[in-house]
Amino acid sequence: MVKTIERAGFPIVHMCNLIPVATTVGANRMVPTISIPYPLGNPEDTPEEQYKLRYHRVGVALDALATEIEEQTVFPVKI
Amino acid sequence: MTKKVICYLNQFFGGIGGEDTADYEPSIQEGVAGPAAAINEGLVDAEVTHTIICGDNFMGSNTEEAIARILEMLDGKEMDLFIAGPAFQAGRYGVACGNICKAVKEKFGVEVMSSMHCENPGVEMFKKDVYIMDGANAAARMRKDVKNMVAFANKLLSGEALMGAAAEGYFPRGCRKEVFLEDKHENTAAYRGVQMLIKRIKGEPFQTELVIPEKDLVPIAEPVADLSKARIAIVTTGGIVPVDNPDRIQSASATRWGRYNIAGLDKLPNRWDGGHKVIHAGYDPAAGDNDPNITVPVDALRQYEKEGKIGKLDDYYYTTVGTGTTESEATRMASEMIPHFIEDGVDAVIMTST
Amino acid sequence: MKLTIGNLHVRDVVLGSENSFADGILTIDKEGAVEYLMAEDDHITSLDIVIARPGDDTRIVPVIETIEPRVRMDGRCLFPGVTGEVVPCGDGELKALKDCCVTVVGKEWGSFGDGVIDMGGEGAKHTEFSKLINICLVGDTDEEFERHEQQKKNHALRWAGHRFAEWLGQVAKDVEPDDTEVYEFDPILKREGARKDLPNVAIVLQPQSQMEALGYNDLLYGWDMNRFLPTFMSPTEVFDGAIISGSFMPASSKWATWQFQNFPTIKELFKYDGIEYNFVGVIMSNLNVALDQKERSAVMVRNMALNLGVDFAIVTEEGYGNPDTDYVRCQVILEDAGIKVVGIANESDGRDGFGQPLVVLDEKLKALVSCGNVGELIELPACKTVIGNLESLNRDGLSGSWGYDEVLGKSARDDGSIIMEDNNWFCGDCASGNSLKIMVDF
Repeated sequence: MVKTIERAGFPIVHMCNLIPVATTVGANRMVPTISIPYPLGNPEDTPEEQYKLRYHRVGVALDALATEIEEQTVFPVKI
Repeated sequence: MTKKVICYLNQFFGGIGGEDTADYEPSIQEGVAGPAAAINEGLVDAEVTHTIICGDNFMGSNTEEAIARILEMLDGKEMDLFIAGPAFQAGRYGVACGNICKAVKEKFGVEVMSSMHCENPGVEMFKKDVYIMDGANAAARMRKDVKNMVAFANKLLSGEALMGAAAEGYFPRGCRKEVFLEDKHENTAAYRGVQMLIKRIKGEPFQTELVIPEKDLVPIAEPVADLSKARIAIVTTGGIVPVDNPDRIQSASATRWGRYNIAGLDKLPNRWDGGHKVIHAGYDPAAGDNDPNITVPVDALRQYEKEGKIGKLDDYYYTTVGTGTTESEATRMASEMIPHFIEDGVDAVIMTST
Repeated sequence: MKLTIGNLHVRDVVLGSENSFADGILTIDKEGAVEYLMAEDDHITSLDIVIARPGDDTRIVPVIETIEPRVRMDGRCLFPGVTGEVVPCGDGELKALKDCCVTVVGKEWGSFGDGVIDMGGEGAKHTEFSKLINICLVGDTDEEFERHEQQKKNHALRWAGHRFAEWLGQVAKDVEPDDTEVYEFDPILKREGARKDLPNVAIVLQPQSQMEALGYNDLLYGWDMNRFLPTFMSPTEVFDGAIISGSFMPASSKWATWQFQNFPTIKELFKYDGIEYNFVGVIMSNLNVALDQKERSAVMVRNMALNLGVDFAIVTEEGYGNPDTDYVRCQVILEDAGIKVVGIANESDGRDGFGQPLVVLDEKLKALVSCGNVGELIELPACKTVIGNLESLNRDGLSGSWGYDEVLGKSARDDGSIIMEDNNWFCGDCASGNSLKIMVDF
């Protein structure tokens, strides 16, 4: 799916927990998420904390879309 | 009943002429020409009824037209098998054989086959779609190649079960199937595994049962030049859908996908508010049911839109279920999404997976 | 540790009024069994015992679990932390009723991890249990909280199965075995002589533990393996009931308790121990959901292997899909540490066979055994007898069947014929070692 969309010329960033899977699938821009059932917000945290994390990681993903890369790249996150 | 086979040859093997006739336009004749004669002789309960001849250059430079004309010639003709070549190491010829085989299979649903040398570029391009026999590099070995082709053609025509690419002599198509071995200890996975281990210990050669293919990467797309003007779409394989799952997307091994309007929403409402829920069978849905934004981050993206970091969040999110979904289905679904991206002016995509 | 297993070969099983074993005929006091098991767990609302023999025109579904009936000669329980107190296992003497198994079957309801056994016909080759006499424990419970859930713990019925196997095994206590298997696992630091010069081999097991909620995963000494970190074990503990199967994994990838008790790849490793290599035991790992959990288990397996002096290893997983990331990561981290690996697992190539076999691929995987494709479609005619409920295939979300498909229709058809994926065969891919399937490129 990622490859098909990128092949059509759209920059695409893959946000997922299993970075090894994304690497195998052929994603070029990747941003890690925190888990499989809840990629961008741990239900054990407060809604505010969840949103803060989500806002941060989505921001990293947006920056990734605007970043020139040479090879498959995992963009680091802070929270 | 005698089955019907139609052959395809280039200008040279079809007897039209050499390189100077490579622009020869496609023609069809009854009966055989060139190597098709030897193929015909070897067939059991089948005959070559027609032979198509086309110049390699004509096919190479007018591919669409050549294919269309050939398909028209074949229309209405009885055919159980289509054989192109053998093409040896001839690149243009190999690609021509691959192109016409693929088109014939798609249009008429019959089996198609060819033969090429492993270095013929046609092998890599078409081995997935066409049975390509592992052939010689030069026409001097024509006899052997034709013999292999005929043996396999007879097998295909008989409907007999195939034994696998290596046993039949064609290039693996990327398709893997289970084969049941005879019920004896030496065939068990335990025995095979421990013997493989012992061979590794002794430094002896061993054969893995799953060869890892080289990674197939796509060229990296150019980054978005100006995020603040860009329209961003969300795609997810996390199985978030409107509560009534209007497109009946399956909870595993999905073949369907959906595109749902989020225009004006500050966040994705959850299932308890009649909004969106999880249908993915591969993970615990509780968190996503409570707050679908953790998988489809509409809230964060809307905020970035308000702040002007991005130009616009697309009015739709795209969704399917990623568990057990085959690569070919995923590829098809993604290709079906692309025209919408183009029509809506989407510049870049965030894809979330669970 | 030395484990002696005296085998009693069961030629036939009959239902009668008292338990006995003579001339290969196992007689079961059916009423006594039902009474005992229902008294042990008041969640069980109905229970029946039905015998299915190899070759019978019988389809069993939904199959929840299989267990080998056994007795421990010293009176310890068969499954520590499950059917009794947490006590050591892996040494001592056992007697086992061979060629048969207790098969736990849902009378009405199935779940995601349950499967199918065909005793005869074309379907029989798809599971190893069709070669055994299946002593089917068919029941229903009042576990209403999960009645309509796709994932079920099936606690009452699974535990009834383990208790039944233990209760039944008592009959073997005073019977002379037909043959005896002895597994000796010497303390690895006290090994001497020529063995020390042989390369060291370990097997890494990755049993299913991916449900974050407890009660669905494999249990080790009664402990949920989702909350577990890799540890070193004697292979004899695996044979001796230290670990039981869970209820979660798609059936064909599952390791039933019967398979842990008989783990074929471990038995095979014992055969060449002291000849080709020095077998230094089991590194028991698990399967995880989040990446950091996966990495933690891989790191601990690697370090344990390095510190034990392991030179070569077999890695095998109870699962496919997401678990492939644990399976591949474990092999790669071992190879990077200089430990050469053979992997044993099934594949998920999709119905058409053109899918990617494992969700993660790495060119460091040099030696793999592939024992099935969970996606292969199988269509089979009706069987004369159904034990359980065929409709569960359509209704209960088993991993390889469905109630609606626009092209294929439903899995269990009104005439009793079925169409389903390989996923649904109970332990069908036998990654624990008995698989006779191989994957071939077409």
